Amino acid sequence: MKLRTFPQGVFLPHHKEDTAHLPIVRVPLPQGVVLPLIQHTGAPLKPLVKKGDGVKRGQKIADAEAFVAAPLHAPLSGKVTGIEEWAHPTLGKFQAVVIENDGSSEEMRYDPLPEDIERLDPESLRLFVREGGFVGLGGAAFPTHVKLSPPKDKPIDSFILNGAECEPYLTCDHRVMLERAEDMLLGLRIMVRACGAKKAYIGIEDNKRDCIDHLAPLVRDLPFPTEVVPLRTKYPQGSEKHLILAILGREVPPGGLPLDVGVVVNNVQTAAALGRMAKEGIPLIERVITLSGDCLKKRGNFEVPLGMLLEDLAAFCEGFITPPRKIIMGGPMTGITQATLAVPVIKGTSGFLFFSRPLAKREYPCIRCGRCVAHCPMRLLPYLLGRLAEEGLFAEAEANRVLDCIECGSCAYVCPAGIALVHLLKLAKFEVMRRRKRGGK
Amino acid sequence: MEERLVVSSPPHMKSAVTVPWIMQQVVFALLPAAIWGVVFFGVRWALLPLVLSVLACVGFEALDCILFRRPLTIGDWSAVVTGMLLGLSLPPGCPFWIPIVGGGVAILLGKQMFGGIGQNVFNPALVGRAVLLVSWPKIMATWYVRPPFALGVTSYATPVDVVTSATPLGIVKAYGYTSVWETPNLLFRLFVGLVPGCIGEISALLLLLGFAYLLFRGIVQWDIPLFYALGLVAVAVVARQNPLFHLFAGGAIMGACFMATDYTTSPMTPKGRLIFAFGAGALTGIIRWLGGYPEGVTFGILTMNALVPLLDRILPQRFGVKKV
Repeated sequence: MKLRTFPQGVFLPHHKEDTAHLPIVRVPLPQGVVLPLIQHTGAPLKPLVKKGDGVKRGQKIADAEAFVAAPLHAPLSGKVTGIEEWAHPTLGKFQAVVIENDGSSEEMRYDPLPEDIERLDPESLRLFVREGGFVGLGGAAFPTHVKLSPPKDKPIDSFILNGAECEPYLTCDHRVMLERAEDMLLGLRIMVRACGAKKAYIGIEDNKRDCIDHLAPLVRDLPFPTEVVPLRTKYPQGSEKHLILAILGREVPPGGLPLDVGVVVNNVQTAAALGRMAKEGIPLIERVITLSGDCLKKRGNFEVPLGMLLEDLAAFCEGFITPPRKIIMGGPMTGITQATLAVPVIKGTSGFLFFSRPLAKREYPCIRCGRCVAHCPMRLLPYLLGRLAEEGLFAEAEANRVLDCIECGSCAYVCPAGIALVHLLKLAKFEVMRRRKRGGK
Repeated sequence: MEERLVVSSPPHMKSAVTVPWIMQQVVFALLPAAIWGVVFFGVRWALLPLVLSVLACVGFEALDCILFRRPLTIGDWSAVVTGMLLGLSLPPGCPFWIPIVGGGVAILLGKQMFGGIGQNVFNPALVGRAVLLVSWPKIMATWYVRPPFALGVTSYATPVDVVTSATPLGIVKAYGYTSVWETPNLLFRLFVGLVPGCIGEISALLLLLGFAYLLFRGIVQWDIPLFYALGLVAVAVVARQNPLFHLFAGGAIMGACFMATDYTTSPMTPKGRLIFAFGAGALTGIIRWLGGYPEGVTFGILTMNALVPLLDRILPQRFGVKKV
C-alpha cells in the first residue's frame, strides 16, 4: 500500500504503545464540574443560568450571538453554585459555570435526526451542529458549524476526516475509530451533506493499521465515495494543511483556510460525537481523552464529562507513581503545561500527560546546522525568525513569513542547540498581529 | 506538590541530538583518514602535528574564554573539530610551531573574534590554514618525509633535500599536467591513499567512508559535497584535465565533505547551498588550473564563505504559493 505524506516534517518516537490497546473506559460523574465560558476558538459565551439554578444533563447553559461560537451544555444534572473565575488550561483564568452534582439522572435530549440524512437540507443540519455545541475535538476547537458553512463563491468538493493523530502519546482518536466507527460515519454523513462535498477521505497514519483495516470495508456502505487513506507516520501529519497536501496534493494559501482549496477537514472524534447526537440527541457534553505519561499509575483512554477537574481525574487513575514535574494538556509537541491540578477538561482537551522529568534540553548558541530549515513543514527559516524575534525586529520577521508558522514544534524538536524556537516564533507572531491591529507599526 | 510543576513552552519533546554529540561524530568520521595518515607517514611526522593542532585549538579557545570572561565553551567539542581539520590539512613533518600558530589563528581570528561558535563567517580551520599558506608558503608546500609508497615521479621534486617528496598537485604546478601521469595506476593510488599529500587528505576512500557515516547519522546532507564535486568537475572538463584526478588529488574530498559542509559557514537555504557548493568547487578548480597555488580548496571555500549571508536571502518556495 502506498503511503501518502507531505515534504519535510519529523519522525518522532510516538510512545502510543502505552495506551493504544486499552479500550475506552467511562469515568463516573464527579461531585462537580467547572465549565469555562470559552472552550473554543472564537467569541466567549454568556451564561444562560445563574447561581442557584438547577440544571439537567444536556441542558444548554451558555451561548453567544456571535457566529464563531458554540453553545455549552451541562454534562450532569445539579445546581449552579456560582459563575466565577477559575483556572483555565490554556488561558490562565476565565469565568466559568460551576455545577454541583445532585446525583439525579435527569436529562434533556435533542430530537434525533431522521435516518435519511442525505434528504435533509444543509442549512438545518448546520443549525443542528451548532445547537449541539460541536467544535473540533482534535485540539484547535474551532466551531464545527462555521467550518461547514462555506461562502457561496467557494464550493467544497472534498471532505477529509482527520484520523492522523500525529501527536505522540495520544491514542483517544485511535480508540474512537475502532470502537465508535458507526457513530463516526453517521457524523461524517451529516458533515458531508452540510458542506456539500462530493467525496470524502479518512486520513489515518499507518501506525494505526488496525483502524485502517477496520474502516476500509465499512466506508463502502456510505452513500458517497469515501476513501480510507493510509498516511505515512510523520509529524505534523495531522495539521490540516499537511493533511490536505498529503491526500489531495493541494496547498492552502498563506493566511487561507482549507475551504480556499475546496476542502473541509474535521476530526474523527467530532464526527463520532456528532453521530451520537444524531442518534440519541445527546449534545457535546463529554469526550474521550488519553491520560498517559511515565508517572501516572493507571494510563488509558477515558470518556470524561466536560468540566471534570484534573485532580478528580488523577484520583480516578489512582494517583501517581512519583509526583509529576510537568503536566501537559494535549500532546508533547503542541500541548500546554499546567500549573495546577484544579483545571477542568474542556472541549479541546485531547489528553493530559504526566511526566516525572521536566523534559528540558541544555541550550547552546545556534550553530546554523540547518536542521530547522530542513524539517520545517511550512518551508520557513526558523533560525532566522527566532533571531529576529530575539532582536525585536518584528517587521523583518513578518517579511520573512513568520505568520505562516503553524507552531508545530518540529524546528525546536530537531534543534541540537535546544533553542526555544516555537516560543520565539509565537512571540513574533503575537507582536506582528498586535501591530497590525494598531494599524501599521 | 503543585508548586513544583514546571511550566514551559512547547514542544515538550526534544531529539537526543546535541551540539557536542554532533561534533564528536565529526571527530569519529575523521578518524579513519587520520589513522591512515599516521600509518602512512609515521607517528612522529603525522601524529605530532595533529595532536598539537587539536591541543592548540582547545587551549586557545579556553584562553580566550578566560581572558574575556566568557563562559567556557570548549565542552561543545567544536574546537576539537577545528583542530582535527587544521591538523589533517598540514604537511607531514612540518615544524612544531606551525600547528600551534595555525590553531591560534583559527580559533582567535577565525572564530572567537566573531563571537564564538555559530557566529563566524569563515571556516576557522581554513582561516588558520590560509594564514599559514600565505605566511610560510615554502614550509606549507614542502613534504619532509619519504613515505613508504612514494609517488613514481619523486625525481621531479625539490632536489635539495633527499627526504622531501612531492604531491601530485605540486607536480602539476611545477612540471605541467602531463608529467603527473607517469605514475602507474595514479587514480587508483590517489583514491585509496598511496600518494603523498597532507596528513589526512591522502585517502579519498577513507574520507568518503567517514562522510558516509555522517550521512547515516543524519549529521550532514549530501547536497553540498555533490555540488562541490560538480563544480570542480565542470572546471576540469573545461581545462581538459581528468575530473577524477582533481577529485581524488589534494584536499578536494576533505574540502567537499568536511570543510564546505561546515554548518556555520555554509548557507541554510536549499538553493543557496547548491550555489555555494558549486561555486566553491569551481573556484577550487580554477585556482588549481590558473592560479599561483597548486591547491585551491582553501581559497575556493573561503571565498564562497563570504557570500553566505547573501545566499541566505534566497527564501525557499512559500507553502501555498504555486510556481507560476
